Amino acid sequence: MIVSRREVMTGRVLLVLLMAVTVIPFVSLFVTALHPAGTYPSGLSWPENPQWGNFADAFRVAKMGQLLLSSGLIVLGVVPISLLLGTMAGFAFGHLRVPGHKIGFVVFLLGLTLPFEGIITPLYYQIRDMGLLNTRWAIILPLIGLFMPFSVVWMRAHFVTMPDEVSEAARIDGAGTWQLFWRVHLPLATPALSSLAILLFLWTWNQFLLAIVLVDDPAKRTMAGALGAFQGQWGTDIPLLCAGALLILVPTLSIFLIFQRRFVAALLQGSIKG
Amino acid sequence: MPHPSTGRRARRARRSRVAWIGWLFALPAVVMYATFVLRPLLLTVQYSFYDWNGIGSSTWVGLANYGRLVTDPELFATIGHAFELILFFSLIPVLLGLFVAATIRGIARSRLATVARTVLFLPQVIPLVAAGIMWSWLLSSTGLANELLSAVGLGRLTRAWLGEFGTALPAVGIIGAWVLVGLCTLLLLAGMSKIDPALYEAARLDGAGPVREFASITLPSLRQEIGVCVTVTVIAALASFDIVYIATQGGPGNSTMVPGLEIYYLAFSEREVGMASALAVALVILVLACVIPLQRFARDAR
Amino acid sequence: MAHRSPGRRLFAALTLTGLLASAACSAPGSDSGSTETDASAAPVTSATCGTGPVTLKGYFETGFPLPKNLSDEFTKQFPNVKWDIREDQFAVITQNAPRVLTDDPPDLMRLPQVSELVKDGLLKNLDGYAQAFGWDKWPASQLEQMRVSSTGERGDGPLSAMGLNFSMTGVFYNKKLATQIGMTQPPATLAEFDTVLQKAKDAGLVPINQFNGGATGGLAFPLQNLMAAYGDPAAINQWIFQKSGATIDTPTNLQATQHLEKWLKAGFFAPDINSQDYATMMSRFIGGKNLFIFDGDWESGNLDKQMAGNVGFFLMPSAQAGGKRAAMSAPLTYGISSKAKNADCAAFFLNWVATNQQARDIAVEVGGSHPMGPADAYMPEVAKDTVTASTLAAGATIGQDNGAMDFIANATGAIYAKGWTPQLQKLAAGQQKPDALLKSVQKDYESQVKD
Repeated sequence: MIVSRREVMTGRVLLVLLMAVTVIPFVSLFVTALHPAGTYPSGLSWPENPQWGNFADAFRVAKMGQLLLSSGLIVLGVVPISLLLGTMAGFAFGHLRVPGHKIGFVVFLLGLTLPFEGIITPLYYQIRDMGLLNTRWAIILPLIGLFMPFSVVWMRAHFVTMPDEVSEAARIDGAGTWQLFWRVHLPLATPALSSLAILLFLWTWNQFLLAIVLVDDPAKRTMAGALGAFQGQWGTDIPLLCAGALLILVPTLSIFLIFQRRFVAALLQGSIKG
Repeated sequence: MPHPSTGRRARRARRSRVAWIGWLFALPAVVMYATFVLRPLLLTVQYSFYDWNGIGSSTWVGLANYGRLVTDPELFATIGHAFELILFFSLIPVLLGLFVAATIRGIARSRLATVARTVLFLPQVIPLVAAGIMWSWLLSSTGLANELLSAVGLGRLTRAWLGEFGTALPAVGIIGAWVLVGLCTLLLLAGMSKIDPALYEAARLDGAGPVREFASITLPSLRQEIGVCVTVTVIAALASFDIVYIATQGGPGNSTMVPGLEIYYLAFSEREVGMASALAVALVILVLACVIPLQRFARDAR
Repeated sequence: MAHRSPGRRLFAALTLTGLLASAACSAPGSDSGSTETDASAAPVTSATCGTGPVTLKGYFETGFPLPKNLSDEFTKQFPNVKWDIREDQFAVITQNAPRVLTDDPPDLMRLPQVSELVKDGLLKNLDGYAQAFGWDKWPASQLEQMRVSSTGERGDGPLSAMGLNFSMTGVFYNKKLATQIGMTQPPATLAEFDTVLQKAKDAGLVPINQFNGGATGGLAFPLQNLMAAYGDPAAINQWIFQKSGATIDTPTNLQATQHLEKWLKAGFFAPDINSQDYATMMSRFIGGKNLFIFDGDWESGNLDKQMAGNVGFFLMPSAQAGGKRAAMSAPLTYGISSKAKNADCAAFFLNWVATNQQARDIAVEVGGSHPMGPADAYMPEVAKDTVTASTLAAGATIGQDNGAMDFIANATGAIYAKGWTPQLQKLAAGQQKPDALLKSVQKDYESQVKD
């Protein structure tokens, strides 16, 4: 490719600039978190006397241990079930092509762009009548439902590309539909599944609206919901708030940095297909 | 000797039985979707025709809530704000993304670009709530934004960005732009890497500069990616909630009130469930009305 | 993807959703009559926390240590009682109140305006406890604001909430800065106050910091003070108590709002008040960044600690020399959900707060405000030169002048968030005129009272 030197340089400068803009808010959060609790530090000033203890305080007052457990439980409730149900339906629509599969698919497609605010009001009363308010189920069950459109569309897109020959060979060997799905197709779907799992994990972990509406106790919320509560309670103490916010970011950020390639690929594909 | 057609019919019958059994696979997904999405969605439509405080009994009011939506300037303004946010959530990330992606196309495989892929994705990974908290602090009257302005001699421009009528909504928009610009840049860059390099070589040999190259090769080939970027960001703008909830709570003086937040306030603090539902229906329709044409546009490209 | 007949598929999809729709066709809320609660008070002979383990579920306002300190002391005295406390900022509590009281009922909750909560039967009627504990023998004015009739009018009717103490508001000032501009005495008239503000401005000081950002329209403090300086506090109370025919849009209130606008235009407020939250205001005032704040005695204890000897307090001067003083003075309202599990224990706690000696010490030292309770009850000693002493003394003045008002922000549940806050933020930004402001708030008020 012919690229001039000047273009390479501009490209580099621009990229570094963009990265700086992306990172600065994180740096500011970090620096502010080191100021003495209760003060109003200005701008990006490094404190004379960094208060590393703020992180310990924030960990304690935010009950980080509980929050991690809670978000973990919610993710465990949402992600595996959504993956399974989404894959099964994607298999039925994309591979088995059940009668009426196009209608079914369109019904799911309609839900793809649905803003959660569109259904939050009745959902609240529904969850209340089910007696699930203020339990983790109040987040888990609706999220599974809300993730179905994306999961089904995503997995269908995978199964549509699976040649029929794969199934025919298995059928000749006498496999039933379930065996065909479980033994043959599920293993083949692993790459699509793992990307989907990453996306669902992220969306569950970061879910805010459902958490603040359906669960009052921060210790039963998602991380994002708990962060909202933390801001409500400690928003008057900026350094502590910043320390807490950073701590709440640590789990996602570390998982992201470990699996970054998969994450980036999943997010890019996710937006294309979504 | 069996008649050929009966054999085929039998096979088709077996196939269709198998086919119907296939619905069992879709059933759990359909049940969850119907229970927790379709049912509430239909109830939203139903509630929108009632006056209900969420506790006592309700009264049928027909289209009155929708009438109020278009006549009450405060409610209607929320939709205007959502559209204004599109400028920031969509236009800036897409334009900036195009510009950056086109500029760095040549170094897309360099070490720096690999690092950039990770860094630019950070805002996508964190909760929007966290983005809201970080930026409220950056944009506060003693925040970094003002400090930078003062440092470059623009001290008279400093202000509480989220607290002034003229700047609060754009400031919220900037937060959204920050979240989305990395995603758009990388999506567009991925799209550009699929363009046949021979096209560029040919253009260069014809003496085309970067601008013409961009206009005649890059842009037309990226129709699908641009469609995706615009769709994702437009939905994010119209359905914005988290950032506004944290950064401004709709203030000052309702100047950053968006439909999502207004629905939340109406339904849960003012207990006007009917009005909240009408606004929710309007929001859902609005999103579809924006997204369907965009999808057409992107699909046509294939 | 093959696009054969999108029309037919869409039609089929719509049919399917239509089928689902028929599954949910009864009017919303028609089957929820069971949430109505008995409005009459059950006779109570004695309410205690018993001896077995009890966990009281509290929902408190963040940033104010008083309820936490009281609950800690209570547990020290009654070790069987533990607390499960959730905290939020006041604006969030206001938003959540109806929902939380219905669906996640706390035993003890910091309450915003109570009228609508009472109308919907969400609060426990405390008359039974009032009789059992003898609250009905306290000065009636202490409980007046928490008495609500069945139509939502306040001032009399069953007791639906209690105070942890009753607060007093006015103007706090930084003594060092005041000396710097030659203010040796608190201003005696509004005109004098204007002069002092101008002097401060001319001296390059920030005259007033006031929170007015986000969901908190703190300009309501100076505004209501000005209203009472120009007009009759009783009339303002009528409006707050939702008496029929009351209006906020009166000539004297217009004068008050215009006066506030004059202050805003003169630059007497910090330029960024529309993004100041309460904590920012406090931190700046404590940091000596400005001369005045309009605030309440709940900060007295805190200010005595953080600005010892350097902080003064005065009641808003009236428009005429020697005129009567008035101030917002309201109980720090806490209520018991009508569905609370440990209502008796919560009521016992409220009584303990008003009558226990240690609790009254805490109410004054930490809370800075006057405790609830009988007129002749024990009062802790307060050092004379503290701002706590000034605010307690101011309470006595207001009592003599009969000038206590509830907050205009407490007139209805949504009037603060939907009326005052956005309107005052607009006024601060020069985007609203005083008369239009009052008309708009009155319109919101009427539609909310009607509902």
